[in-house]
Amino acid sequence: MIILKRKPKIRNELLRKEGRTAYLLLIPAFIGLVFITYLPLCAVFGLSLFKWEGIGAPAWAGMANYVRLFTKDPYFFDSIKATVLYALVTVAGGMVWSLVIALLLNRKIPARGFFRAVFYLPYVLPAMAVYLGWNWLYETNYGLFNFLLSQIGVHKAMFIGSSKGVIPSLAVIAVWLSGNLIVIFLAGLQNVPRIYHEAAEIDGANSWQRFWHVTIPSMSPIIFYNLLMSLIVNMQVVTPALALTNGGPGNSSCFMSYLMYLYAFRNSKISYACAIAFIFFILIGIFTVILFATSKSWIFYEAGDDK
Amino acid sequence: MKKHSIKSRKRQEKTVNIISFVVVVLLAALVMLPIWWIFRSSLMNNAELFQWPPSFFPSKWLFSNYARTLEYFPFWTYLKNTMTIIIPAVIGGTVTATMAGYAFARLRFKGKKFIFSLCIGSMLLPTMVMLIPLYIMWTKGLHLENTYWPLIIPYFCGGGAFNIFLIRQFIKTIPRELDEAATIDGAGHMRILTQIIVPAIKPAMIVVGLLLFITIWNDLLQQIIYINTSDKFTIAIGLSQFKGSLKSDWSAIMAATCMSFLPGIIFYLIGQKYFVEGIVMTGMKN
Repeated sequence: MIILKRKPKIRNELLRKEGRTAYLLLIPAFIGLVFITYLPLCAVFGLSLFKWEGIGAPAWAGMANYVRLFTKDPYFFDSIKATVLYALVTVAGGMVWSLVIALLLNRKIPARGFFRAVFYLPYVLPAMAVYLGWNWLYETNYGLFNFLLSQIGVHKAMFIGSSKGVIPSLAVIAVWLSGNLIVIFLAGLQNVPRIYHEAAEIDGANSWQRFWHVTIPSMSPIIFYNLLMSLIVNMQVVTPALALTNGGPGNSSCFMSYLMYLYAFRNSKISYACAIAFIFFILIGIFTVILFATSKSWIFYEAGDDK
Repeated sequence: MKKHSIKSRKRQEKTVNIISFVVVVLLAALVMLPIWWIFRSSLMNNAELFQWPPSFFPSKWLFSNYARTLEYFPFWTYLKNTMTIIIPAVIGGTVTATMAGYAFARLRFKGKKFIFSLCIGSMLLPTMVMLIPLYIMWTKGLHLENTYWPLIIPYFCGGGAFNIFLIRQFIKTIPRELDEAATIDGAGHMRILTQIIVPAIKPAMIVVGLLLFITIWNDLLQQIIYINTSDKFTIAIGLSQFKGSLKSDWSAIMAATCMSFLPGIIFYLIGQKYFVEGIVMTGMKN
């Protein structure tokens, strides 16, 4: 009897202790969320409403920065075009390439671990070195790719030196670097329950049918995840412009992040760059919302899966 | 009849496996080709580099190129500087992500749903957007320009939502009975975390460490904006400067590139056996 009466008190005490431990453990993450994520996001919008070049007091400007961006800026629309084009080509290429590789590596083939390491390897190389190296591969007269093209009788291409070629050339590098997508796809494939495949096999489905009706639906949440994340990552592309193209030729690789960097850190137009950042945020938001809106119709969730 | 069809299906499966293997070998060769080409270029002299048709193998393996490159390219200083950022940041990120992941996976507290949604929601936010306010905070607010702090401290704040999520998922696969047994033995939550959970989630922590390593390794933009003097340059900044100073000495540039490839490859080879397992076991289903 005594034990029963005391139990709720002990339980409350334990719960309080548990809560205290949890808050203690979450302090660093919470500081991160507030001070390096959500507050700076609000600050970007706030700053974009002022005129400020890094010194003195900011002067209220209302929507002037935005008006200027949309009516007078010579680079802004080019930068949106370059960013969206790059993201679409890279995401499409990266998704197809990494899904194909993951499917191949998921079969019973010899030395799987070795090949997995090979396909992942480019991802662990430092980006700056990768772009320097590829710069030489794309070299017009003595580079690897023009050598290979000449072997099959195709005339020399300019690759990153031409305004038409620069985005596809950079996208090839990005696809080459997409080892992280392969790993996540592989993880997903290995989590597809075997019983589904066995059941389908007993029903007489061939491997193509099994791929299309078992593998793809069970993989759809992971396909969605990879699609979303690689879209968000690739929209933020900046390193190739910093390391390789300086936004050129013309403005054909002047990505939004790069434009923002140029305005903020080379020209001290800080509040103006914030306006670009905020439009950039909205643009990525629109793509994210579209993806989420369409996802309901093609993502297949396992019943009772609450993860 | 049925037996026959199973047999033929088995045979078909085998053919598909053989074809897959051949395709994998070809694609792997294709993926390695750029790395080989860069490496082979780093061992040639410039005269051989500008020869037509180019050859796949250097006529003489000029490892002396590396010694020559090191005269202009202070690789060891850059490596030391890069590691000064990476080592504390990777440790800080892994530890704080584990702390947060444990709280989300195991503990009950008020506001858990809300904080967790804030955390997962931040995965969708492009970090590029926050760059300018953070720059203002670190330089104008805290006067930390030209130091490594702005590149290190953020990693002590949870190490990123994805990593927290990864750790949380991994902890959820560990049977609760283990914790409960320890509770009965009188262990508190902190002891459970350090003595039961941490040893059990080592693969996930290694994955997080490697992911953080790669993120920092690749973050040229932030390194450029926070670091101004050449004695503090990282490998990434050093390479971008080096390219500008030696416009067409391609064999030296390729040697510098290959040197910079090495640390990542070494780190990856150490961690790689845990790598896919780590992600597989978390059951990446969200």
